[in-house]
Amino acid sequence: MNRAVTHDGEAAVAARGPGHVASRPISATVSDRSEPLADNPDIFKVRGLNVHYGEFHAVKGVSMAIRQNEITALIGPSGCGKSTVLRCFNRMNDLIEIARVSGSIEYHGVDLYGRDVDPVQVRRHIGMVFQKPNPFPKSIYDNVAFGPKIAGFDGNLDQLVEESLTRAALWDEVKDKLNGSAYALSGGQQQRLCIARAIATSPDVVLMDEPASSLDPIATLRIEELMQDLKEDYSIVIVTHNMQQAARVSDRTAFFTVDTEQTGQRTGVLVEYDVTSRIFTNPREQRTEDYITGRFG
Amino acid sequence: MTELRSHFYEQLQELERNLVLMGEHGVQMLTDAIGALIVSDVDAARVVMDADDVVDDLYLQVHHEWLEVMARQTPVAIDLRLMSVILHVNSHLERIADLAVTIAKITRKSEGLPHDPTIISHLQEMGDIVTSMVRAVMEAFTARDLDAALALPEMDRPVNRLNRRMVRKVAALSADPELLEWGVRMIVVARTLERAGDNAVDIAEQIAFLLTGEFREFTDASHHD
Repeated sequence: MNRAVTHDGEAAVAARGPGHVASRPISATVSDRSEPLADNPDIFKVRGLNVHYGEFHAVKGVSMAIRQNEITALIGPSGCGKSTVLRCFNRMNDLIEIARVSGSIEYHGVDLYGRDVDPVQVRRHIGMVFQKPNPFPKSIYDNVAFGPKIAGFDGNLDQLVEESLTRAALWDEVKDKLNGSAYALSGGQQQRLCIARAIATSPDVVLMDEPASSLDPIATLRIEELMQDLKEDYSIVIVTHNMQQAARVSDRTAFFTVDTEQTGQRTGVLVEYDVTSRIFTNPREQRTEDYITGRFG
Repeated sequence: MTELRSHFYEQLQELERNLVLMGEHGVQMLTDAIGALIVSDVDAARVVMDADDVVDDLYLQVHHEWLEVMARQTPVAIDLRLMSVILHVNSHLERIADLAVTIAKITRKSEGLPHDPTIISHLQEMGDIVTSMVRAVMEAFTARDLDAALALPEMDRPVNRLNRRMVRKVAALSADPELLEWGVRMIVVARTLERAGDNAVDIAEQIAFLLTGEFREFTDASHHD
């Protein structure tokens, strides 16, 4: 495990210099009063994850656990490997020929990269929403119905489409034009359509790679509100460049950065992973603090 | 590596500079208020009361700038803690100046009354300690010195002790109604100095929070004897 990583719950307080307040006699203590997170089970367990693209060591020694029905944010500067890690969660890196993943990721206790695991099945359980809305060149209805049809869904498709669009907070805006082209929707609506498409196949995890970075502030807030509703039923992992977005929406935040080795090679590493309120009020690692406060760049 | 957000950090420094200025005014006002009390100088007491306007202006300025920084810069981590601390320290310093004004007003109301030299001596001692506490805590804030902040409760102890003795000392003056009236007013002065000391300790707690991220009360007021 990367020694720099601090997992929540561990009292890995970095050295803060002499005279820490706890060493003095006091008669009253006001501890962390923020609402504790529910003790949800782990959905992913990542151990010693390394990702290489050919000779390039993109991500090194990441160990972390993702909890069920929480929103987990991955933040960090460009090139820190946060999107690479996200793509490992549904084996999207398999689609890149030169990508090599080592270490382990357990999904509900099963090795996600086990020999008998079908990556297509993985992606059915672990959906993904991308930075730029990417609806199919089809009707709104067909965008949502496509995945379930491919998967052999034999229930009431109309009902499934309506439910998915409702959950994605889009139904009221599109219910009268379901046969219209998805391309006629605004950017924000297209992204919510992509979320509806992702949840139509009943995944239990939704991965989001900068889902609001191409949207205006109002559309962004809609997506953020939607995420809060969705986490009742799904676990969400989001990569975002927008730290305030991570602070607003996530339960836990993982901060990644780039380590430059003596050879000059730049590798993504996990620096700190903790409850979001802790990360944004009192991070344990100086590198986290420097990044989120914008002190150094 | 280059420092980003230099404008933001200039704003934070400006807020801190104004707090330091308020602290210096607070120390001067306490010193002058006690000095005026000791020699019954009502004119000097008036100067202390007038000086409060400067502190009030600084208080409002800090508050205004604080709101602007919060709204526009969305600080996080140690910057967020510093903003929280600035808001608290601003209130404590404004309160300390008000307490100096309270002592100045008592000086004016006590004009012409007889004095007791022992009580005067006690109040002088309390005043010296309290002004040194305010000075020390503001230095700890500027220097980000946790150990110096943690020393404040120890400095406050003799102030509390002297304050507790005041009632008995004043009760001993009961044979002389005028001296007793003066003594009752001096109980309020002692209590006011004790409150100023508590404000300095509260500032020290804020400094510890800033530096450690953990908020702890150094003393528990509900368990004082």
